[in-house]
Order: sequence, then C-alpha cells, then structure tokens
Amino acid sequence: MSIDGTIVAEGLTKVFHTTARKRGRLSAVRSVLRPERVAKTAVDGVTFRVEPGELVAFLGPNGAGKSTTIKMLTGILTPTSGQVHVNGLIPYKERIANARLVGAVFGQRSQLWWDLPARDSLSVLADIHGVGPELLRERIARFDRILELSSFWDTRARQLSLGQRVRCDLAAALIHDPAVLYLDEPTIGMDVVVKEQVREFLRDQVEQRGRTVVLTTHDMTEVERLAERVVLINHGRIAYDGDLENLRRTHAAALHSEADLEDVMRAAFGVGAALAAEDAAEGRAGDAAAEDTAEAVAGAA
Amino acid sequence: MTVAALDAPPPVREHRPRAEQSRRAWRAARVTALAEFYQWGRLASSLSMLVARCALTYWLWRALYRSTSSSAGLDVHQATTYAMLGVFYVSFRNVNRWAGRDTMTQHMLEGTIAYWFLRPVTPRRYYCIRACGDLSYGACWATLAFTFCLSTGVIAPPASTAAGLSALATMAFGLVILYYLQQLIDLACFWTVVNFQLVIMYEIVQNVLAGALIPLWFMPGWFVSFDGWLPFQGTLNIPLSLYIGRSPVSGLGRELAVQSCWIAALAVLTTLMWRRAAARVTVLGG
Repeated sequence: MSIDGTIVAEGLTKVFHTTARKRGRLSAVRSVLRPERVAKTAVDGVTFRVEPGELVAFLGPNGAGKSTTIKMLTGILTPTSGQVHVNGLIPYKERIANARLVGAVFGQRSQLWWDLPARDSLSVLADIHGVGPELLRERIARFDRILELSSFWDTRARQLSLGQRVRCDLAAALIHDPAVLYLDEPTIGMDVVVKEQVREFLRDQVEQRGRTVVLTTHDMTEVERLAERVVLINHGRIAYDGDLENLRRTHAAALHSEADLEDVMRAAFGVGAALAAEDAAEGRAGDAAAEDTAEAVAGAA
Repeated sequence: MTVAALDAPPPVREHRPRAEQSRRAWRAARVTALAEFYQWGRLASSLSMLVARCALTYWLWRALYRSTSSSAGLDVHQATTYAMLGVFYVSFRNVNRWAGRDTMTQHMLEGTIAYWFLRPVTPRRYYCIRACGDLSYGACWATLAFTFCLSTGVIAPPASTAAGLSALATMAFGLVILYYLQQLIDLACFWTVVNFQLVIMYEIVQNVLAGALIPLWFMPGWFVSFDGWLPFQGTLNIPLSLYIGRSPVSGLGRELAVQSCWIAALAVLTTLMWRRAAARVTVLGG
C-alpha cells in the first residue's frame, strides 16, 4: 500500500452520553440513585475529503466539535456512526497501522516525559516508533533548523516554557515521519515569535515534505498564513468547506459587523486605547480580532 | 525568518524489519530509571527511604523477640529475615511515577492518554514495557539491599539451596500477579477517571493479605483460610515462607500451580478490560 495521506470522512457522527444532574430537593442523591442519561451529539454527520499534501484548517467556536472530529480521524475515539478512512485504513480499528501513518499534537497536552530532557523524550519516542539512531539524528537536526530546539533540548520538559514544549511536541509528532499530521490548536497561548516559527515549520512540512496537515485553530492569522482551505464547524456540523477567499466574500457582512461592533465597544466603554496598546505591544492585535471574527463567522454561518 | 530547510531533500522513510522495530520499543523501559538518575535528590530520597525502612524493621523485630526465643514456630533470625525480605520485596513496587505526572490517573485526567493510542505499540504493551522497566529498576535497589544485609548478617541466607531457588521461582510468579493486580487498578481509570481511593484501598489490602505488614502466621486461622482463596499470598507470603524454611520445598509444585491459575485468570481479565477500555476511551476537554 502506498502512503499518500488521503483522509475521507463520510457522515461522521459522535454522540457522548453523560449523566445529567437533577434539580430540586435531594438532587445529588437522586442523581446517584436514578441517574438520568443524556445524549450529546458532538459531531453530527460530518463529510469531507482531504487530499495528500493539503493543509486544511478546522475553524469554529469552542465546543463546535473540531477536536472531537480530529480525535476520530486519529483513531482515538470511535465514531458512533459514519465512516473514516486515512490512507485506506480505518483508524479506530487499525490503530497500530494507523499510528505509523499519523502524528498529532493536542494543544497544551504534551507527550514528553516530564522529568526527562526533551532530547531524551524524543529518543524514547523514536524507540517506540522503531526509528534508528541515525535517522533520529538526521530528523532532529532537520527540525532544529527551523524550530531551534537545540537551545533548550537538554532541559527537562517540566522546566520548558509553553512555546518550547509545543515545539518539542511538534518534533515528537513527526519523529517517525508520518504522512498525516493532526494539530489541535497547536499555537494556543504562544507569543508571536514562536507562533511564526511554528507556522514556518508547518509550511515547510506541507510544501517541502508533502505531509497532509489538519489543524484546528481559533487564530485567523494562522489560517490566513497557512491554509488555502478552511472547514467551518458549528454545532457539530460543517457550516462551510472551501477556500478562505470565498469564505470572506460569503460572510463579508458578518466580518464587517464584527469590526464595527468592536469599534463601537471600544468607543463606548473607553477600554479601546488600553486594549489596543496592549495588543500592539504583544503583537496580538490582528490575532485577537481575527479570533473573535472566526467565532462570529461560525455563529453567523 | 528564512527557511533553511527549504532546499532539503524529500523525506527518507526507514525500512526496518517489524521485529526489530518491535524490539526497539522495549528501550522505553528505561524512562523511570532515567528520570530518577537525572534527579539526584529523588535518588537520594529513594536510598534513604530504603535504609530507614530496613533499619526500623530490623530493630522492631529484634525488640519484639527480646523476651522470647521463639514465636509462632519461628526464631528471631527467621522472623527478622522474613520482615526484611518483605521490605525489599515491597521496594520493587515503590517506584514513584506520580512526581513525573506519569501515572495512569494523571494521563487520564490530563488527556495525554490519547498519545498511548497513537503509537505503533498497543497501550497494553506499552504498559507492560514500562512496568518491566520499573520492576527492573526496583529490583536493582532490592538486590543491592539484599546483598548488603546478607553480607553483614542482618538477614539469614535461604534455608537451603532448594529453598532459595523455590523462593526465587515463586517470587517471579508473584511479581507477575502483582503486575496484573496493579493493572486492574489502573485500568479502572477508563471507567472512573480517577482511582485515588482504589489505589489506597488496594495498597492496604495487598500489604495486609500478602503478609507484608504482619506475617500471616500471626493471623487467626479463619483469616489465613480466607486469604488462601485470594491471589495476595502468592505475591509475598509464599516466596518468603519458602526462603526461611517455614514452608517445605516439596509444596513448590502446588504453589506454582496456584500462582499460574491466578496469572491466567488475571491475564484474561485484563485483556478483556483493555479491549473495553480501548473502545470507550475518552479524552477529557476539547
């Protein structure tokens, strides 16, 4: 079987069952004695296809179903219904074969060992993936060129900053040279410089290495810089699937209203100057506004 | 920023035989030992804890036997040896993963359990590899302590060569039982998310029923009979009783058979639990 990194999802649905807390007198006791099961549909009939070497950004507000979709694509979660194929494999059924094909970074969740220097963690992960020492050296050197890992890779993971840890996690996810890379909000909480470094790295992975990348983000700047195609998810359904330009044209009104609303809020409550100055200082102005815009667009859609 | 790697050649995929890749995964067993060696403070505390436990146990049993030469059919040397070996044996399990955020509960709570399902090694096998690593690390400490205590006369040598070998064999089987029991407790996290109370309860039950706190021959008859139906005796009391000569070597076959039955039953149970766990894994948070 050739490794190409095609992802196909058809009618992908995930329903979680939780216990609802009852209201009224002795609610806690009644909830234990007669628990009420509630079904929550996190992802509802999602269908899409990602071609090899494509970078697709999943956008949407918190709780829209982006992360659940990614977890089903990786094979961690089993879909309630629908089908998913990654390079012809069903991820949740063929987890071992799938694991050789994919890498993932889940936001601030690290797969590094807390008490080991980052380089040792990468070495252990290489062993788990069956990567030999020569290839490991070569790959780490390649990652180091963009991510500048060598300046902190002898530091234990617990002492790394968030940006340093995520950069190491990116290297960890790619240590076995997977065809597909899933990134669940990879740049959340990072400063502008590190964000740019990560974007540069991802661009390199797609353009030069030909990897398929699926990422979820709230950061519109990231989307603008990286993705030609966006999939907008809201309430577990795909609200839009297409290129960014078309999204802008389609929802131009919503974008405008958001910008206007922001101006009005700043003027009305007098916090604009302070906020703008803070944003400018941290270089987040574009990101912050764009993040709000993404959520507004998802809501409008 | 310039992209230095833009001119790099396309990725080269490695073609290693699957068997070799599979063998390489065993190198992950070194994680716990590496983490301890990187922190001299933790290593020193492990050492001081072992020394303190050994010294206190030795003095306690010497004090208990001050007014009598024999109790429950054992002399002071046998009783002290049993208790000291119990301390070494327990130190097999005393590897601290909590500080390194590396327990199953922590992986469940933090959602990092997701990565266990994204490796070409099943979570069950990874668990086994790490447990073997921890056990080997603990065994190094226990062997050091055993050799030191044996050479200084603090503990007696085995009752006979056959007794020593029998103790070793039942100890190996006992460790496998311990591994499966611990795995059951850890796997409960897939249903309960946290297992703090379960871990505390298990440690108390295990230490009492295995005879780690008080040798079982000091317990009432009904207690020993009841305990005989459970797997705990096989993890500590049986190997140590063989070592000090309280249990005859002729009973070795029966003991190994009982331990084997427990191992088989627990292996089946944990296999089923892993299957169920893999189907119901959830990752907390978005």
